[in-house]
Amino acid sequence: MQGNDACAEGAIAAGCRFFAGYPITPSSEVAEQMARKLPKVGGTFIQMEDEIASMAAIIGGAWTGVRSMTATSGPGFSLMMENIGYAAFTETPCVIINIQRGGPSTGQPTMAAQGDMLQARFGSHGDYSVIALAPSTVQELFDLTVKGFNLADRFRVPAFLMSDEIIGHLRERVEFPDEVECIPPKPIREGMLPFEPEDDLVPGFTPFGKGHRVHVTGLTHNEKGYPASTDPDLHEKLVMRLVEKVERARHEIADYDIVNPDAEIVFISYGAPTRAVRQAFLDAPEKSYGHLNLRIVWPFPEDLLKKFKNARVFLVPEMNLGQIAREIQRHVDQPVIPIPRLGGELHIPAYLLKCAEEQE
Amino acid sequence: MSVEDWYRVDRLPHIFCAGCGNGTIINCTLEAVESLGWKIDETIFVSGIGCSSRAPGYISTDSLHTTHGRALPFATGVKMAKPNFNVVVFTGDGDLSAIGGNHFIHACRRNIDITVICMNNQIYGMTGGQGSPCTPKGALSTTTPYGMDENPFDLCELATAAGANYVARWTSYHVKELNQAITFGLQKPGLSFIEVLVQCPTNYGRRNKLRDVQSMISAMKDHALLKEKRDRLLAEGKPIPDGMFVVGTLTDRNRPALGVKQ
Amino acid sequence: MKLVIDDTRCKGCNLCVMVCPYHIFQEGRTSNRRGIFVPELDRPERCTNCRLQPLYQRRLCGVCQMICPDQAISWLHEAPFEPHKVVIEY
Repeated sequence: MQGNDACAEGAIAAGCRFFAGYPITPSSEVAEQMARKLPKVGGTFIQMEDEIASMAAIIGGAWTGVRSMTATSGPGFSLMMENIGYAAFTETPCVIINIQRGGPSTGQPTMAAQGDMLQARFGSHGDYSVIALAPSTVQELFDLTVKGFNLADRFRVPAFLMSDEIIGHLRERVEFPDEVECIPPKPIREGMLPFEPEDDLVPGFTPFGKGHRVHVTGLTHNEKGYPASTDPDLHEKLVMRLVEKVERARHEIADYDIVNPDAEIVFISYGAPTRAVRQAFLDAPEKSYGHLNLRIVWPFPEDLLKKFKNARVFLVPEMNLGQIAREIQRHVDQPVIPIPRLGGELHIPAYLLKCAEEQE
Repeated sequence: MSVEDWYRVDRLPHIFCAGCGNGTIINCTLEAVESLGWKIDETIFVSGIGCSSRAPGYISTDSLHTTHGRALPFATGVKMAKPNFNVVVFTGDGDLSAIGGNHFIHACRRNIDITVICMNNQIYGMTGGQGSPCTPKGALSTTTPYGMDENPFDLCELATAAGANYVARWTSYHVKELNQAITFGLQKPGLSFIEVLVQCPTNYGRRNKLRDVQSMISAMKDHALLKEKRDRLLAEGKPIPDGMFVVGTLTDRNRPALGVKQ
Repeated sequence: MKLVIDDTRCKGCNLCVMVCPYHIFQEGRTSNRRGIFVPELDRPERCTNCRLQPLYQRRLCGVCQMICPDQAISWLHEAPFEPHKVVIEY
């Protein structure tokens, strides 16, 4: 099955019943599958006039209490930034599939890249925090789509599935579980205000039509949801909470694979380059390099880096000019060497081995 | 239930300037909603950014105050995900026709079952009186200090051409007619677009020799030309006086609509 | 029915002065403690709605209330007239 189709299957399995999208290579297959499948399960598909509207529509859909999703690629992702900031600020749970392609601008529509990783985290103006997942196989694309919905609902944030053209268009064997775990958002507790945080800093979710008469605004709002944009303390408290609610759970929700934690030379990868690293390990079984594969990139779980006690150097193959390598360097004293690969093709395993050998 | 129940009384008085007509339009809308017996928990008010878009914050339903120009896609999302909700959009001329122009024509094309009430004050009021796509030719604003030299949009013709089912234009002076038009628009399946010309004495009138509310209202009253009268003038081959705008029900048709309540 | 202006909401725009067919509203001459010249009522018992709403069981006229941008104008129910016993003290 193709990656994008698996993504759509995952979304439907996770209970997604509203999809608004705009065609863009290489993510169009997600929209096509959703258009075909959603009406059969009682959901709604709508093709909007642009990505700004798609993102707006899924936020509207999410506030009616329906699991909502959109899918796009780089240029559309840039357009969505405005409303992604809105979703983060109004704590709207929604899922955005980004099948990344080469950029900047129109770039390489049919080739892969991972150039949107920092945009996913910092793209909209102001401070906020989001969750970004990175699948490296078609099976993971299915599983992480489901997981993305659950995390988005749990933390009330937009969750990004930062896949890329390689995984999106890859055909691989996928096993669908009989039943996937769907955890609905925590409902609002009796007597609580719509934006009043509980102990985990996440307010209970009260969709429209439930009698709570919630006012959702992109202005700085108090716990009732009313605008209070000139109160400096309130704004600081609100933004701190929005960042903190995700960031402080980063080790708890971390999803990763570790190979050979005693190694001196450690590869760190996420998404498609993980496949190249795995192949390199298969090609050179005599070498004992370490490998950390991240399935959740944002919030960045920096404690995982400490698990490599003997690490001397970290090699980070990425399909960009070292966006996550920069994040890793913030947390470790050892040298972090990015292995960038632009142009749309995956790293060649032999080249990765050569890079590692240079460090021996 | 009374109209007062539809207000978030704890938030009044609202932030609109003295003499601003937005409050009048909220009155007319809520009066219409109330007369139809709609339930507060089944009605959603959506808005974008601007003076007009502050309105849902004073209405006690679930409400969505969104990003600039994007009220219609948000409303589309709400309506498509849950067609049982009654969705009303408050928007302004800058919000709807400038940054949200594309969303506007596509919402009209889809003919989605929402009611759009555009408070057209012919200026960007909240940001301090910059020219908007509906600023009349020659009018002064902070960004057109020598007079507007672009042609304004006729939003009603735009909505009609794009496919809306019901299009009407009134002013904030014609409260009774406006109330009837909104009542009709709310019941109409498909997109109902009601443009309301509204006085902005603070940022429009002050720079255009209409400093007080009374003179702005009189100007609107004097320049409003009933559609029936315009049709009569046209039939008789008489010229239509300069500077007049047409008020009344401009379009009323039954094209297939999207997202209608089952 | 009794016509009242809520002076905590009124912003003194005088639109009611403009629209009332009976000229019940007169421009205010003194400012209240918020510095707003709230219109004064000139013989409000002349208002059609005050007089006839109980009879027709619906809103009559009501233009002032609908045009008031600040939701300040409303009608209050008054207790129906009850004959009082007048005690005359000598």
